[in-house]
Amino acid sequence: MSNLFPALICGLFCYLGAIECANPLGTTGSFYCLGRPLVAGLIVGLAFGDVTNGILCGVAVQAVFIANLSTGGATNSEITYASYGGIGLAMASTKDPALAVTLAVLVGNTFGLIFYNLRMAFYSVFNNKALEAAEKGDGKGITTWHIVIPQICTFLLRFVPTFAAILLGEGLVNDLANNAPELITHMISVLGGVLPALGIGMLMNIVIKDKFQLVFFFLGFVLLAFGGLDTIPVVFIAAAVAYLYYLAKSKTAAAPVAQTQGTDAVYEDPDLF
Amino acid sequence: MANNDEPLVKRADGKKGLTKHDLNQLWYRWQVGWFSSSSYEKLESHGFAWSYIPFAEKFYKDDPEGKARLLTRHSQFYNTEPQVGTVINGIVAALEEGIALGDDIPEEMPTSVKTALMGPLAGLGDSVIQGIIVPTLLSIGMSLSSDGSVAGPIFYIVTWLAIGMAICYGMFRYGYKMGLGAIDNLVGEKSMRLMDAINVLGIIVVGTLAAGKVAVSTIVQIPHGAEMGALQDTLDGVFPGLLALIVTMLTWWMLNKKQWSATKVLLVLTAAVVVLCCIGFL
Repeated sequence: MSNLFPALICGLFCYLGAIECANPLGTTGSFYCLGRPLVAGLIVGLAFGDVTNGILCGVAVQAVFIANLSTGGATNSEITYASYGGIGLAMASTKDPALAVTLAVLVGNTFGLIFYNLRMAFYSVFNNKALEAAEKGDGKGITTWHIVIPQICTFLLRFVPTFAAILLGEGLVNDLANNAPELITHMISVLGGVLPALGIGMLMNIVIKDKFQLVFFFLGFVLLAFGGLDTIPVVFIAAAVAYLYYLAKSKTAAAPVAQTQGTDAVYEDPDLF
Repeated sequence: MANNDEPLVKRADGKKGLTKHDLNQLWYRWQVGWFSSSSYEKLESHGFAWSYIPFAEKFYKDDPEGKARLLTRHSQFYNTEPQVGTVINGIVAALEEGIALGDDIPEEMPTSVKTALMGPLAGLGDSVIQGIIVPTLLSIGMSLSSDGSVAGPIFYIVTWLAIGMAICYGMFRYGYKMGLGAIDNLVGEKSMRLMDAINVLGIIVVGTLAAGKVAVSTIVQIPHGAEMGALQDTLDGVFPGLLALIVTMLTWWMLNKKQWSATKVLLVLTAAVVVLCCIGFL
């Protein structure tokens, strides 16, 4: 039971960093800050009294979840369970970043997603009550059914599984990690290096809208892989390139507008054809 | 500097509108409660209604029916990006203020504005916040912490809170001040060009992530003259990070060209690692 305190902290922050937590910090300070694996690594590291390894685990997990998107409430992986459950379990056992990645993906894509989807289905019941309250002009009723009861349920759904997993899972994960054949341990460490490609591929899917933009992707890759530059100088170079791109676009945008002014009506209505 | 309790807009007929405190409260309650009771059916609906409770108490104290109509119309389906999307909250605040003061604004107007704008603003907000700003700041944070230093998380917390809060609060006040004109500026040609340029920065950062965070190396040994040497050393001499680049491009290809779900790609990657480890390549 030596992990009682860290397990409490992980459970608590799994709630505080959740997308649906009514955190007084607001969504900017909770889901987009406490909920990121990089920040979770610091918090879990502090809880376990080993900040360096916590942050190393956080950095490794962050790469996989770099493109966490929640659009329309649907998510492909539950980032907060993954952060605090995955990093927490890794810190409770071997403290190995590659293991943290594997555990985070496992937790986020199975248990996390199941709990998340159950909640998203079940809370319709509370929504109906909140709507009834609104129709009566009852502000207190809205607070009860929009904040109080959903937050109690959310807290239980977040805190209890994460707390229990870290308290009880430590032995299990340790046994598995210590008794696994060498090939399995090797696979987990290889997976830890390969899985960030998933997060990065998803991010490419968002930002690359045209094939020619791959040029910029390769530029970033080459500056790091061949140039040996760090991320920070590359960000400055990228800002300069983006500015030049903006200037170039402004010039080319100004020219054709002047030419096609007279035929605007034809160009603007695609339904015409 | 206006007093917090003074109405921001003074009306000729002496009616008192929203004070700075009222506006801040509308914004803050949205920030805290926007997703609290989210379900697939209603998503952010009741978060909007909850943000209007103090407003309802203040302006509809003696009009229970008007209050019920206000809270009901803001309990309808609503879903957008919660930070850039606060521009809608701002526009709606101006409209609701007008309605409460008896201006000639139809009560359906806030609902139609919300319904019309939530989609475009969600698209814009998701690509800027979740696609560019957050990943870029995280990338810098990750590189600062590659040795386990606390500098990375601290950097992210400080820069993100400053930028995120500025966007989130700024968009709200901008929407309140500009009304629907805010949207013309946001999706106007100049702003789109700026977005395109910022997107270029985002893409370059993604390239650095692929080079820095994807780690794939082969354990195959090949003959180096008389002795055996690692194939990886040869690859590093020709093209460092080649395998990482191949894996990333293949992943993107599966997601983009094949349109596979992230879960399917995850399973494919895991299966590939298992097979390649078993045959002794990785």
